[in-house]
Amino acid sequence: MGAEAWPGAAGGPGGARGAGAGLLVEGVDAGYGAVRALDGVSLAVAPGETVALLGTNGNGKTTLMRCILGLLRPTRGRIAATIDGVTTELVGRSPEEIVDLGIAIVPEGRRLFPRLSVEENLLLGAYRRSARAAIPRNLEFCYDAFPRLKERRGQAVGSMSGGEQQMVALGRAVMCAPRLLLVDEPSVGLAPILVARTVEKIAELKERLGLTVLMAEQNFHQAIRIADRGYVLVHGRVEFRGDSPAELGDSELVRKFYLGL
Amino acid sequence: MDPDLALLLNGIVSGLLLGGLYAAAAAGLSVSFGMLDVVNIAHPAFMVLGAILVALLQGATGLDPLLLAALVAPGFWAMGALLYGAYHRFFERRGDEAIQGLAFFFGVMFIIEIGIVLAVGPEQHFADAAWADTTWRLGEIDLPLRMLVPAAVSLAAIGALALFLRHGFTGRAIAAVSQDREALRLLAIDPVRIKRFAFGLSLALAALAGGALAVVQPVDAASGHIFIGRVFAIVIMGGLASLGGCVLAALAFGVVENVTATFYGPSWSPAVAFGALLLVLAVRPQGLFGRAA
Repeated sequence: MGAEAWPGAAGGPGGARGAGAGLLVEGVDAGYGAVRALDGVSLAVAPGETVALLGTNGNGKTTLMRCILGLLRPTRGRIAATIDGVTTELVGRSPEEIVDLGIAIVPEGRRLFPRLSVEENLLLGAYRRSARAAIPRNLEFCYDAFPRLKERRGQAVGSMSGGEQQMVALGRAVMCAPRLLLVDEPSVGLAPILVARTVEKIAELKERLGLTVLMAEQNFHQAIRIADRGYVLVHGRVEFRGDSPAELGDSELVRKFYLGL
Repeated sequence: MDPDLALLLNGIVSGLLLGGLYAAAAAGLSVSFGMLDVVNIAHPAFMVLGAILVALLQGATGLDPLLLAALVAPGFWAMGALLYGAYHRFFERRGDEAIQGLAFFFGVMFIIEIGIVLAVGPEQHFADAAWADTTWRLGEIDLPLRMLVPAAVSLAAIGALALFLRHGFTGRAIAAVSQDREALRLLAIDPVRIKRFAFGLSLALAALAGGALAVVQPVDAASGHIFIGRVFAIVIMGGLASLGGCVLAALAFGVVENVTATFYGPSWSPAVAFGALLLVLAVRPQGLFGRAA
């Protein structure tokens, strides 16, 4: 793909003037040492959208997430977030600064604190100053969306099942009071029924909190259940952009390269 | 009362009081070693530095030694923050902390000890307190305030720290930092700042423990040596990152040592106490109160 187009969002990420959060990635190269993991990746997420980042393992989805979050510095290209009309360049900023803009992540493998309780994990999500004021509301929201967590609020997270841990990870991201939610491989390590539930929960959180969502996922069928649009990453390049779930599902390229049909 | 029983009860009670002192000495290490993964072998040397500073200040001002310890604690906090900054920059950031970091703190220990000898000489220092020569008696049991007050103040300080770790935003981040530091960054929490702050806290506790030590016994530059093995043993026995476990392990260690010393002589007490440590670790490798997860 060449220069990034703006599907449904003239005026750039975040629609420049409007409320909400958008993300723009332009021509990003990144790698680890001599290995180039991303090659000229461009994509856009407009406010209120759920965009799926598709591709099998090792094609650069997590690398792109790491670049957006400032954990890996791209060698070329631009990444910008627009939140309530204010555009911030992300390249060169620390992960702490980027998250503090209102960009939360549900990381691959969940990355919880196993020896701390459910509630301690959730409250750590609300460390940033602008999230602290919203703690009572967000905690109530978490316990309402995940009643199981309320029952087990005092339990050490390390002793919980994978599905319950995924709920804690989603809840912890909610506690960050985000505007833009990044979700990296929510299906990893979960039974199929739990993957479906997790994906539904992400859609529910997005609706109830008015979030913008970018979700990296290798489980194609689950991802396009909730995605408005999607990009397919193959060997670090965006090989296909589908502007609707149907377009993604019908694409010859997706069927051939990705689903192996 | 049966004299043997009275002896035993007194042995237990003064063991608990000794354990209070051990708890003070070990609690700071429970933060640095247990929660931050920083093997600060110089921790007892910092305690001795605090003790000698308190003794000198007490001689100069006549103020209460534990009050003086609380006054020098912020200085130790700042020293800890600076020291962690250097440790992080030169060792931890490069992933060299395992062996070279240990060597670093070993060096810090010797610098402190030699610094003390050069500055104030090799002799012993002692802090006096108005209450130190009073002994309360409960029946046949002696409660010397020289031991009781430092133990009580130390336990109160540890209790306050435990509340802070459980209920404060920074406290929770301290409890989390050794479990997954990158995950903290993804919550807008800078793990280096958290560890710097927490390492400062561990040295502030060393200062407080020093104040207690200076009241309990005369202190010289090398007085920290006998504490090194004990405080590491206590922190490990307590389950590394658990302050409550650390206190209980310290009290148990004090009682075992003291009762052994009472009945079999002081040369047996370290052997029996460290034997108890091995026994605990054989049965519960995660320590008395460590969570296995």
